[in-house]
Amino acid sequence: MGVFLQYTVIGLTVGSFYALVALGYTIVYGIIRLINFAQGDLSMVGAFLGWTLLVSFGFEHLPIYIALVIAFVIPMIGTAVINIGILQFAYKPLLRRSLLAILITALGMSLLLQNASELIWGPAIQAYPPNLLPLSGFFIGPVHVTYVQIALVIASLLLMCGLVAFVQGTTMGTAMRALAVDHDAARLMGINVDAVIRVAFVLGAMLAAASGVMLGIYYVQIQFTMGFLLGLRAFTAAVLGGIGNIPGAMAGGLLIGLLEAYTTGYLSGTWEDVVVFGVLITVLIVKPTGLFGERVAERM
Amino acid sequence: MRDRFDRTPFWSRVIVVLALIGATVIFNGDDYVTAVAVSVATYAMLGLGLNIVVGYAGLLDLGYAAFFAIGAYTSALLMTEAHWTFFATLPLAVLFTGTAGAILGYPTLRLRSDYLAIVTLGFGEMTRITFNNWEYAGGPNGILNIPWPNFFGYELSTQADFFVVGLVLLAIAMIFAHHLDHSRLGRGWVAIKDDEFAAESVGVPSLRLKLLAYVMGGMWGGLAGAFFATRIGAIDPFSFTFQLSVLVLIVIVLGGTGSLPGVLLGALVVVGLPEVLRQFADQRLLIFAVLLVGMMLLRPQGLWPRIRRKPKPFYGLQEEEPDDVAERILREHQAQIVERDLRHTAAGHKSSSVGDVLLDVDGVMQQFGGLRAVDNVSFQVRRGEIFSIIGPNGGGKTTLFNCITGVQRPKRGRIVFDGRSVVGLRPHVVVSRGIGRTFQGIRLFKNMAVFENVMVGLYPRHRTMTWQAMLHTPGERKDELRTLQESRRWLSFVGLESLAGRLATELSYADQRRVEIARALAAHPHLVLFDEPAAGMNPTEKLELMGIIRKIRDLGITVVLIEHDMSLVMRVSDRIAVLDHGVLIALDKPAAIQEDPAVIEAYLGREDDELGAVQEA
Repeated sequence: MGVFLQYTVIGLTVGSFYALVALGYTIVYGIIRLINFAQGDLSMVGAFLGWTLLVSFGFEHLPIYIALVIAFVIPMIGTAVINIGILQFAYKPLLRRSLLAILITALGMSLLLQNASELIWGPAIQAYPPNLLPLSGFFIGPVHVTYVQIALVIASLLLMCGLVAFVQGTTMGTAMRALAVDHDAARLMGINVDAVIRVAFVLGAMLAAASGVMLGIYYVQIQFTMGFLLGLRAFTAAVLGGIGNIPGAMAGGLLIGLLEAYTTGYLSGTWEDVVVFGVLITVLIVKPTGLFGERVAERM
Repeated sequence: MRDRFDRTPFWSRVIVVLALIGATVIFNGDDYVTAVAVSVATYAMLGLGLNIVVGYAGLLDLGYAAFFAIGAYTSALLMTEAHWTFFATLPLAVLFTGTAGAILGYPTLRLRSDYLAIVTLGFGEMTRITFNNWEYAGGPNGILNIPWPNFFGYELSTQADFFVVGLVLLAIAMIFAHHLDHSRLGRGWVAIKDDEFAAESVGVPSLRLKLLAYVMGGMWGGLAGAFFATRIGAIDPFSFTFQLSVLVLIVIVLGGTGSLPGVLLGALVVVGLPEVLRQFADQRLLIFAVLLVGMMLLRPQGLWPRIRRKPKPFYGLQEEEPDDVAERILREHQAQIVERDLRHTAAGHKSSSVGDVLLDVDGVMQQFGGLRAVDNVSFQVRRGEIFSIIGPNGGGKTTLFNCITGVQRPKRGRIVFDGRSVVGLRPHVVVSRGIGRTFQGIRLFKNMAVFENVMVGLYPRHRTMTWQAMLHTPGERKDELRTLQESRRWLSFVGLESLAGRLATELSYADQRRVEIARALAAHPHLVLFDEPAAGMNPTEKLELMGIIRKIRDLGITVVLIEHDMSLVMRVSDRIAVLDHGVLIALDKPAAIQEDPAVIEAYLGREDDELGAVQEA
């Protein structure tokens, strides 16, 4: 039982990172029906930007709060700029063309980000400062919880709450929801469709970057290939929760995190991706609208 | 000169070109060049397989390496553990990959195409990880010491030997792919890519065709995998990563999706470029990523695009006199109907004669959320009549058509056609039962010529098998010619023979509607459902349409019409049903409908755009 709870704690921590990336997939897909394959790689770029600031620029020696703010905010802005660049340069000209063309382009952008990052930061594994946050923790019964875990989970929750508040509470959020239902009608109501799409890409990139920095802090090690599997797991989470569905993506992320933790704990780490993909394929076959229902209008 | 080139069969051109390439490489004698050439051939084989999936059927497969892996492992295990010879393992390698493709494809090919990309990606990774964890297959170390193939006592061991085998396989793959592309299957794939819903509704079994493409693509991957295993002599899971799937995709995107010479060129670039640019070997993928995105943006058709020559309609067909055509259509159609009725009776169903009930709609209810679009509607259509359904907008008319044609499944009620229930059948099955339809918003296949659109409508009536299409057998040729002939007759039936070679989108609105009618008739239906055929037509065109509808009835085809043009409806219909808010409020002869108080109220009781139309009638 104690072991089970321990895995649960680990699963929820990792799951909250997946949830952040999954939210990016879901927002973008909800609005322009595009699987932005680069989502996971944006997370990786965010992690490396954070690493550059903390380690290469030496910001890790600043007071911890300032260092953390810098390590989160600047990568979030940086990846947002990159994602806008990708949108304008690569996706925008293709939006009216076939789905196949834009999917292949998205795949190409993912490859491009990966290999450009390899060129910039090298193929080697880089390490985040290991004792940025206190390594200690405490026991609840038999379960060991670290302060890092608590801090990261709270940070992800705050970001998710911020996103929900934005989508539900602001005019721009309302426009996003309108666009998810019907582009043409939204345009006729005077919504600046292009601006809303840009906002969705900015939000998606910022969440991805935040999750990347968190992964760096949590796992310490980062590498240019980390975005691929992260992206796949997060996409699985988004589909599991019902694509386009924001609470669904969060729940899906946590579920995938738990699933991964239990598989690694009880079975073996070598099987975790088989289990995750197995879940993805099963969900798509049995209930393609996800556990909590899609929020995407199907157009004939 | 150009003409003579065109008339030489494709297979002879492939053999000549590949033989020239083979001779050049082998007589060059440079082992390095030959080895690179074998790699190019391997990638080209993979590319040809994936091209069927991506280029022809338009399905994005990101886990193609899985098929390559399954083929390689099957062949390698049989050779090392069971000591089979290479050529004996090939059928099993192909069989296993085909089975894997069918098992994965059958449930997932119904999904949206972007989901399919992710599912296949997941499948590719799962396959690799499974081989990595599978101790019997050597785990991460893979399988070593795979023997050379033995060909009737001659051991193939040099790169030149492998190149010859590779070229032979390549030639077979190219010829098969070319034949498929130019058969009814190729036409079906183009139709599905254009508008899957319309294709299914005119009788193309879309799921089966997509599955066929996916499985055939997978089988070629398996064959290439077996070839790869014996050539390298050792395989391990790292030979089958996601990267390989992406590289093969790059092969076809660079070359031009759907283009066979493009695949060869793409394979040459993907294998050759890193060899030429040795100093940038580490940035190989970066260069490919830039190429991939750049191609999609700047030259999406690829380096050597697939050429779709302007189709020459009815090339090589005998001319027919117009009167002759009408007669032949009548004869052919009646022969079809008689044959159909015979089969129908033989299968134990009651066959109907003129005046009997052909379509029995009984208590049909369809609901969307809280809205009852069709509410407990019952009526019967008799064989040989022209039956119209009218009613204000939003009355549930098109929903009713969708229920009859299998697009939607009604929540309640029975729909019996010709003695058998059609509820729950997929649209293409409903077509093969003898119900054709047109659409309210025109749904022609935009990338096809007019006569090709009609040929798609003939899909359910093809009598040839896939292998015949692959081999382009005389039987298949005859079948194609017959299809072409019939599409011409139907076009002349609706008066569009002279426009047969145009693209569907180049036609006027009224003419497009007539093409849709010809496409629906091509399957020799018992019953046709026309959804607002007169919309957008001018008075003259409407008169012509009326003539066509009567001609259709004279063929013995029952017509059900949704139409807003009251003068047309009143003049052409035998009986009229009126739907308002999903409820059948009247069903009678035209004259009686015009007097019916409920109908008048439905139209006049509110401000409606059909107000004027009723008065006019």
